[in-house]
Amino acid sequence: MELSIFVQLLVLGLVRGSMYALMGVGLSLIFGIMEIVNFAHGELFMIGCYIMYFVVAMLGLPFPLGIVASGLGLLIVGIILEKGLISTLRKKAGREWLMDSFVLTIGLMVMFQNLALIIFGAVQRGIPNLVAGQLVIGDVVFIYDHLVILGLALLTVGLLWWFVKYTNMGKAIRATSQHSEAAQTLGIDISRMYSVAFGIGAALAGIAGALLITLFPANPNAGMAPVLKSFVVVILGGLGNIKGAIAAGILVGLLEAYAVFFLAGGWQNVIVFSIVIAVLVLKPEGLFAPAGERP
Amino acid sequence: MSLLGSPQRGMNVSRYLKVAMVLAFLIATPWLWRDNRFITTIFISALMFGIWGVMYDLQIGYGGLINFGFAGFICAGAYGSALAAHHYEINPWYCLLIGAGVSGILGFLTGVVTLRLKGIFVGLATWFLAEVLRLTISNTPGYTRGMLGLAVKPLPDIFGLDYSRFELLPYYYLLLLMGIIIFAIASFMVHSKIGLSFKAIREDQLATETLGLSTTKYKLINFTTACFFTGLIGAFYAHYIGILTPDPTEFGVPRTVEVLTVAYVGGRGTLWGSILAAFLLIGFQEYFRELGAWRLVMYGALLISVMIYAPKGLSTFKKYIW
Repeated sequence: MELSIFVQLLVLGLVRGSMYALMGVGLSLIFGIMEIVNFAHGELFMIGCYIMYFVVAMLGLPFPLGIVASGLGLLIVGIILEKGLISTLRKKAGREWLMDSFVLTIGLMVMFQNLALIIFGAVQRGIPNLVAGQLVIGDVVFIYDHLVILGLALLTVGLLWWFVKYTNMGKAIRATSQHSEAAQTLGIDISRMYSVAFGIGAALAGIAGALLITLFPANPNAGMAPVLKSFVVVILGGLGNIKGAIAAGILVGLLEAYAVFFLAGGWQNVIVFSIVIAVLVLKPEGLFAPAGERP
Repeated sequence: MSLLGSPQRGMNVSRYLKVAMVLAFLIATPWLWRDNRFITTIFISALMFGIWGVMYDLQIGYGGLINFGFAGFICAGAYGSALAAHHYEINPWYCLLIGAGVSGILGFLTGVVTLRLKGIFVGLATWFLAEVLRLTISNTPGYTRGMLGLAVKPLPDIFGLDYSRFELLPYYYLLLLMGIIIFAIASFMVHSKIGLSFKAIREDQLATETLGLSTTKYKLINFTTACFFTGLIGAFYAHYIGILTPDPTEFGVPRTVEVLTVAYVGGRGTLWGSILAAFLLIGFQEYFRELGAWRLVMYGALLISVMIYAPKGLSTFKKYIW
């Protein structure tokens, strides 16, 4: 393989990988703190796509505003969903919580997808590019859009990292995820932490949807492919493991970029999914888990 | 003893009467409207989903196993039967059993693979297994015709009954017969010692193992039985519908979600609830076809309300009506 092709694929892989990481981090955050396997994550992504389209293509505002609007919009949607439905279920569900909440999110997925179909129709609503043009260095072409996506995704993950690690609320969220009862005893309002965590997870999906609108135009099924990929990522990284999700996201992105060279399109997913099954069976705590942890 | 149910529950007269009434309804209604092909198709799809729902219930409601790759086993049964008839010239009646066998073996292997996994991890593993199966079919058009679609032969005529798909009633009564047998086996199973073991494992796996019951054995029994019968109905579906494509709406997550909704709305751990829910949901959706996407919105809303307000689904209302 020539060096220029290698670099070109590296960039493509990183762009994809950063997106998978962004989705996976949200999914993992929600699982780590609330023990919800959020099957409606792709639909949150889809709502992000629509908000982006509305702000940028219809209102004609600059794209950073669209990304902020998607993030904030989904933060609010996430908090409403948590306060309205999930916390109600939490009060009633006992040990069956994991499965019950999973089925609840399946219901949400079906509802959102079909409401979108009714409201917006099956039309693809895309934006050609966020920033036009490309940068050519030697034989390698850097499309500005890809660089923007990569940069903003890294910025978002970085911000999240800072928030969880250093702010008081972030510390409270981590405490809740480690031991919710102990956290409550120490005066942390855990039900508020659940809302915040679900809101942030949703916001990350929304930002991913907004950033990717040039590649995944807004349509009612826009969330289907990303949700599958983000589940691949969180299983490889370990459910609830945020660092693992980032690493696995980038790994899967790179693998896919290079796999195009060696495999026919259809078999790529078969191989990735087989790896996922193998990881689930042999190492369900994920590839990047600290030693000695098992779910 | 609500935890374990009541294995000695007797079949008293009123119970026999209720069963007879349900059977009479299922046998007579399509016959009375035999000129109306539409009614027969609705009854066939409702009954198919009902039986799949019963099998789903056997897994989730009794075994606590969430099979999120359920459509994959329908797919295995359908393609197993269709390919056997297509490539090897086997009589389609035997192919039904081949399809069921393929799905049953796959279920057994899935059980083996997911033995060490708990709860939601079983769901994730089965989901990806089903996707691998579906994608493999769509990637091997030389053998399965992939997305081009595999034409499936109708069942040959038997006992003077016309199975050419020109008449649908013979298909309906065949399905009803299989349904009665499957329901009887499932019902016998959950009221026997096996069923008690399923429930015990669902409630507390560790405690069950401490009591000396093999969770491995009962998980495998559950997976194999449920998948075998799911595959049998899948095989029936193949010969009834006539064409198969490995499409997600046919054999992917949307199909699994439909069956899951039937089982949850009917009420987990009841078996009969799924049959009732399937007739209500499929009847509703066929009758209000012009509602389009709204009926799926309703499915979602129904699933959410069941989870939050009525975890036992329709079976909550049994004591008021029946």
